[in-house]
Amino acid sequence: MFDRISIRYKLIVLLGLSAWLALVISSLIAIYSTYLSESKSSLRVLHQLTDVISENMRAALAFSDADSANAMLASLHADPHILLAVVSDESGKLLAEYRSAGLPTSSEQAFKEALQASIRKDAGILGSPLGFVERIDNDSMLVLRPIFFENKPIGTLAIISDTELMWAKIREFVLVQIAASVLTLVLLLFLSLKLQALFTRPIMSLIATMQEVAQTKNYRAVLTSNRRDEFKSLYDVFNAMLADIHERDDRLSKLATTDALTGLANRHHAMEIMRTMLTRALRKGEPIGIIMLDLDFFKKVNDLYGHPVGDLVLQETARVLLDSAREYDLVARLGGEEFLVICDCGTLDACIAVAERIRLGLEGRSIEYQPGHSLNVTVSLGVYSSEKRPGEPIETMIAAADEALYRAKAAGRNCYIVA
Amino acid sequence: MLLLMVGLLSLLQAPWVYAGDEERKLEAVFIGRFASYIDWPDKDRERERFVITLLDDNPFGKLLDDLYRDKRIHNKPIELRYANKLEQVGETDVLFITLRNAAARLAATEFAHKNGILTISEAKGFAESGGIIQLDFVEQKTRIKINHAAAVKSGLKIGAPLLSIATVLRGDKP
Repeated sequence: MFDRISIRYKLIVLLGLSAWLALVISSLIAIYSTYLSESKSSLRVLHQLTDVISENMRAALAFSDADSANAMLASLHADPHILLAVVSDESGKLLAEYRSAGLPTSSEQAFKEALQASIRKDAGILGSPLGFVERIDNDSMLVLRPIFFENKPIGTLAIISDTELMWAKIREFVLVQIAASVLTLVLLLFLSLKLQALFTRPIMSLIATMQEVAQTKNYRAVLTSNRRDEFKSLYDVFNAMLADIHERDDRLSKLATTDALTGLANRHHAMEIMRTMLTRALRKGEPIGIIMLDLDFFKKVNDLYGHPVGDLVLQETARVLLDSAREYDLVARLGGEEFLVICDCGTLDACIAVAERIRLGLEGRSIEYQPGHSLNVTVSLGVYSSEKRPGEPIETMIAAADEALYRAKAAGRNCYIVA
Repeated sequence: MLLLMVGLLSLLQAPWVYAGDEERKLEAVFIGRFASYIDWPDKDRERERFVITLLDDNPFGKLLDDLYRDKRIHNKPIELRYANKLEQVGETDVLFITLRNAAARLAATEFAHKNGILTISEAKGFAESGGIIQLDFVEQKTRIKINHAAAVKSGLKIGAPLLSIATVLRGDKP
């Protein structure tokens, strides 16, 4: 599933998700930290209240003045979050209490039982002037402290408060955190949308170039970039690969279209080019000329001087053909000692002129097969021009030129015959 | 039969006796605690002992001796004295008065004013008649009445916490 999603969207999701996850973790830590600080803060406020009241309560407790103690505790009604306040003497006997009007009797009873249990259980702690007991749970928090008179404990004061204020602050903080998280998430997604382009743009550019190369087979294409990162290396590797392909393509193309010995076009390539040239000549209404030629007594050269000399003769022949043909003519080796010249815009006169240049050129060429030793070869040529017979198929034209060549051979060689 | 009646009578009287004992114990404790909230003039602080004197009857029996033995008030060891007559009262810090006669009580308070002594009594109308602290026990609850003017007249300063839980007379009226 994930593999089907494009890198672009993967990056958006990954960048956004990573940042959001980091945000959620930091938010959770912040919320927990706020819970701790708020619970400490709430308990600190309750401690302060207990300190103030216990200071005033000392005299009332010292003289067992329940009325005064009750009057002092009654002032707690100003704080609606105080649920219960209890003053007990040193024997644990209740001296005074304040109970919030909203506190259910069952809760009051439970609080009082818990208080009595705490007074018994934490007697050691409460035996010190600085000792205190504090507890906080989901719904309530408690501070219980001893009241000393003349260095002796004379009773305890316990105040129990609800935790609504604390939770309200935490709720407010959580809401702010959620709002901040959502806002940040949107910003992060927007940012990751922008940031992903840093990674995907070079990839997309690479893909586009690869597609273009695949379509046009233009292996000369070069990817340029001012980057200095891994994409620069990727581009360089890609460019090097294209250059390799281009070079190999050229080599293969050359192998497929040229004759390895002479460097001239081979038969197959010559036929392809000839069809193209013929089509163009027909379209333009121009003639095309074909000169078929064959070295005279070439077998004897091979027999007398060996094949390397024969190859040398073929290479020299090719040079003469290229020198004699016009720039826009095609020279090909058909095989063995047979050659072909296709003359673009080949009027009969032009073809004859080319053929005669070839014949004379080769006749006058001394081929030095070793220092101080040279030989001469001649060639017979069959010349054809479509000037007076336009529209004939290639096979007919070649057959005509070939037939003329045969006649030139029969006529004594070292001459050309017009088909 | 007589023994049975005496026994029944004892049982009937027991709660009253118990309540009275509790009140006495509290009263005994309160004498020392009152002292903690009182500042005496400096000249009287030169004594090495903190002296509590009972004038007339001793309703506490051995209670005060048991309670204040080896204890300290204002960082001084406590000395308990028992006087039958005002003339027997020497230098003292606290004078607990159990005199039934109003004129005698008045004389005692006058003596106390002159000598910077804290006077305490549970006699009705004691505070109104010039005494400094009057203790009442009503339905097992403590009532403290303080004549602040009398304290000032005696050169005593009473701590605000004690005043805050007491009924304070300013002059002769609360």
